[in-house]
Amino acid sequence: MSIAIEKTQAPARAVARKLLRRDDGWAGLLFALPHLILFIVFLLGPTLYGFFISLHQWHVLAKEHPFVGLSNYKAALGDDIFWLALRNTAYFVILVVPLGNLVSLLLALGVAGVKRFGTFYKVAFYVPVVISIAVVSVLWQWLYNTEIGLLNLYLKTAINGLRHMGMALPPFQPLPWLSDPHWAMPSIALMSIWWGAGGNMILYLAGINNIAPDYYEAATIDGANTWQRFWAITWPLLKPTTLFCLVFSVLGAFQIFGQSYVLYGGGSGPGRAGLTLVLYMYQQGFSQYEIGYGAAIAYLLFAIVLIFTGIQFKLMQGREEK
Amino acid sequence: MRIANRRRPLSILVALCIVLTGVRCGTAPTDQDGKDGNKIVVNFWNGFTGPDGKTMAAIVKQFQTENPDVEVKMQIIPWGTYYDKLTLSLAYGGAPDVFIMQAARFTEYASFNTLKPMAPLIASAKPALTEKDFAAVPWKATMYHGTQYALPLDMHPIGLYYNTKLFKEAGIVDDKGQAKPPTTLTEFLDDAKKLTKDTDGDGRPDQWGFAYTFQHTNWLTFAHQFGGDIVTPDGKAGSMSSPACLQATHLMCDLIYKYKIAPKPEGVDSWLAFRQGKVAMAMEGIYMLSSLQQQPGLQFAGAPVPQFGPKQGIWGGSHLLCQPATISPERSQAAWRLMRYLSDHSLAWGGGGQVPARLDVQDSPKFQEMTVQAQFAREKGYVVYDPQIPKANALNQFVDPAIEAALTQFQTPEDAMHDADQRIDQLLKRP
Amino acid sequence: MIKFLNRSQIGLHIPMLILALLFLAPLLWMVSTSLKTSEDIVNSLGALRWLPHPLTYANFHEVLTNVEEFPVWRWTGNSLFISLAVTFLVLTVDSLAAFAYSRLKWKGRDRIFSILVATMLVPGQVLLIPTYLLIRNLHWFDTYQALIIPAGAGAFGVFLLRQFFMTIPAELEEAARLDGCGPLGVFRHVILPLSKPALATLGIFTFMGTWNAFEGPLIFTSSMDMRTLPIGITIFQGHYGAEYGQMMAAAVIAALPVLISFLIFQKHIIKGISLTGLAGR
Repeated sequence: MSIAIEKTQAPARAVARKLLRRDDGWAGLLFALPHLILFIVFLLGPTLYGFFISLHQWHVLAKEHPFVGLSNYKAALGDDIFWLALRNTAYFVILVVPLGNLVSLLLALGVAGVKRFGTFYKVAFYVPVVISIAVVSVLWQWLYNTEIGLLNLYLKTAINGLRHMGMALPPFQPLPWLSDPHWAMPSIALMSIWWGAGGNMILYLAGINNIAPDYYEAATIDGANTWQRFWAITWPLLKPTTLFCLVFSVLGAFQIFGQSYVLYGGGSGPGRAGLTLVLYMYQQGFSQYEIGYGAAIAYLLFAIVLIFTGIQFKLMQGREEK
Repeated sequence: MRIANRRRPLSILVALCIVLTGVRCGTAPTDQDGKDGNKIVVNFWNGFTGPDGKTMAAIVKQFQTENPDVEVKMQIIPWGTYYDKLTLSLAYGGAPDVFIMQAARFTEYASFNTLKPMAPLIASAKPALTEKDFAAVPWKATMYHGTQYALPLDMHPIGLYYNTKLFKEAGIVDDKGQAKPPTTLTEFLDDAKKLTKDTDGDGRPDQWGFAYTFQHTNWLTFAHQFGGDIVTPDGKAGSMSSPACLQATHLMCDLIYKYKIAPKPEGVDSWLAFRQGKVAMAMEGIYMLSSLQQQPGLQFAGAPVPQFGPKQGIWGGSHLLCQPATISPERSQAAWRLMRYLSDHSLAWGGGGQVPARLDVQDSPKFQEMTVQAQFAREKGYVVYDPQIPKANALNQFVDPAIEAALTQFQTPEDAMHDADQRIDQLLKRP
Repeated sequence: MIKFLNRSQIGLHIPMLILALLFLAPLLWMVSTSLKTSEDIVNSLGALRWLPHPLTYANFHEVLTNVEEFPVWRWTGNSLFISLAVTFLVLTVDSLAAFAYSRLKWKGRDRIFSILVATMLVPGQVLLIPTYLLIRNLHWFDTYQALIIPAGAGAFGVFLLRQFFMTIPAELEEAARLDGCGPLGVFRHVILPLSKPALATLGIFTFMGTWNAFEGPLIFTSSMDMRTLPIGITIFQGHYGAEYGQMMAAAVIAALPVLISFLIFQKHIIKGISLTGLAGR
């Protein structure tokens, strides 16, 4: 810019700087207030109130709710069903987060790689995400049906077909997807991956599309093949997206509730294999009406989630610094 | 243009509000105002969905014709959510004036002082109504710590339903050619073996002699016949791993795995299978009668449960009529009139699949004509209810999974029952 | 054409197509079952037939006309009303707040905002029990307010919009200020018009999220009339459990509104999610 123009702009910029340094006083608070009121009453308040409840022995019908300090927490930690629910939930997290994110990443790479019909694929993989958990669970309950569900039917056809062709396979036994304790959680995990893979796929896709094509061109010129291009460029540059997806996947996975609730009608599944922490909290709080105990379980879940998220952050940050 | 963008969602919202104004942007459904014009309003809650509900509705309608100064507002809430709603209404307001309480849940609600004592109302009833008018077991079930908190309406024992067509096909008949139900364990096993068939040769039976339906009531029936129960008689500790209960559990498992006359209970709707004629015998409550009567082409009959163990004993339940503790005297009187009427007219209720608690109704010839009910009523001397302790319902969260674990062999009966007892004891020890 | 037909593209399309069909298969089976009669459902299993034979609308008819037991229309109306109301509430309240946290200076702003962000880690279920008691105390149980008002308390929308607002160049705001606009003016004339994509994204998200919400409606309402569509599905389950034709018809009905909205707005939705992800870093 020429000096003349700069000179005429200087006073305007000085005023602007003065304006930017201003304190808007009450205006800021006023704008934030509607949300803040809702936040305090319906989020912050209940968070603290919930903790308060967890310190009392509180049955809905009882006339008194005596203060019992941390004994609900002690009872929970001494409750082997609590630990079972925690193990089930952790099992679910371990099944769903790595595998689900892997699937999402692969889908994203696939969609990024095709030159036509990208929208069709994006939509096809994302459609399950928009459906509510109730519908998803009801649908998969039908698919997983031991006698007449689609999965077992195709398996039966496949196995019988292969036996017909002479392969030495044992006769077909229907898989007990939802009725066997060992199959229950993996079945729930499979259904959940189908449900959620599309969501993270979009995020990975956005991350991939954000990588400047120049990097890839340079690598191709240097003679790198697809595999090498992925490891050298895509994977490192996707780290922020990956971290984001992993953190929120873990957060979401720990909170699993709807799947078990709908699949097992509020019950815990065979051998309690479908009992997750939130379901246990729901059962204690809203079926047994022991609200104090239910709240303690909820806060233990909160603590676990915090610890887990903290560990995740530390791990990912450590790797980034390397 | 800016304004239009922000106003559009607003105008859509307003339009919708107007459209949905038929919808109540309202408050909780039950109202506590006592009078509707000159009529006194009685709110009546029960869980009788399906044909039961229609039977009850008919009796209630009759009551209203004979009592024009009372208006009964009946709400039918499916059992799955019934107690949730009831509990919340008793705790936070909006409780009905009369409600059905199953005997299994009674002690819990009585222990929290949520029920109104019934003795004064019963004592001042005209014509008189006393203990002698009722069957002993349901009458006892209305007592908590010596005070009476409910009026018994009926009793529903578990009994044996059997498919007469399958029995005749298998040749299990008496000298008149009628299907002959088993009465002892040996007869039961013999019959069931004849009735379990593999018709399509795939190695898995397509017709079963017997199947477990509601595991909770089935197990309790077996347990009682060996002298066992969920808790000890004093109600202070679990007894699911007692020798009696373990014997009963082992026998139940043997029916599946040793004698192979019952399917492993997983992923199969056994009651549906009985209705479809794929299972020859099932033990279920009398209240399931109407679901069978509505099944086209099913030929069935009812009989007392065979005696599997050294004792006679079966599970049973009851529907009791209760009022909330906070009800006003005026509404209590009106509610009592409905309760009395339902009791007097429990023959019609029996027709729907119940055994009325009133002895005069049970002994009446009309009731005797209801063959299945009459057969099941033969068991009334040895009906045992769920444990009458406040935490009975809370215990089921340990009882039912243990039974299932044992029957599906996920755990041995010893392990499953032992775990259950440990948790029951823990729960009972909590204040 | 050549680009499309080259070997590596076909090599990619084949597995992608298989995967896409695998992902869509459950939904197609759901629709197909809903259009079959009960005999057909049993018969078609042996042959693994996907097309209904005969095609029947009876399941839908039964599910939609059994209004006494299943007030489907009422449930749909509830879901629609509540979703729209929450969307409106969230967009209004969150955009005002996001503006305050991004473009205005005031005492305690950053501290309060960090508390907001911290609460995003709190699992929603922790709040269920205390919010339930709160709603009881407010006498809001089983009302629309219970499902609408608390939904405005979340920090996610504020966070998202704040990120976006911060990308709006300061010069535009300066220009408006110089023109004499106070904060409200800047908000109305500068920020809002430029934020349409972000607002649309947040709006669509909030709508879909509220429509599919499960735990809130489950716990804060109880009467038949006040249920939302997802909860209605579980009520269907209790009744139709083993009757898969009707069950799938109910499922289709519950999924259809969101599915159609998604297909119409999919471009915006997918773009918006990408924005969220990028903003989240």
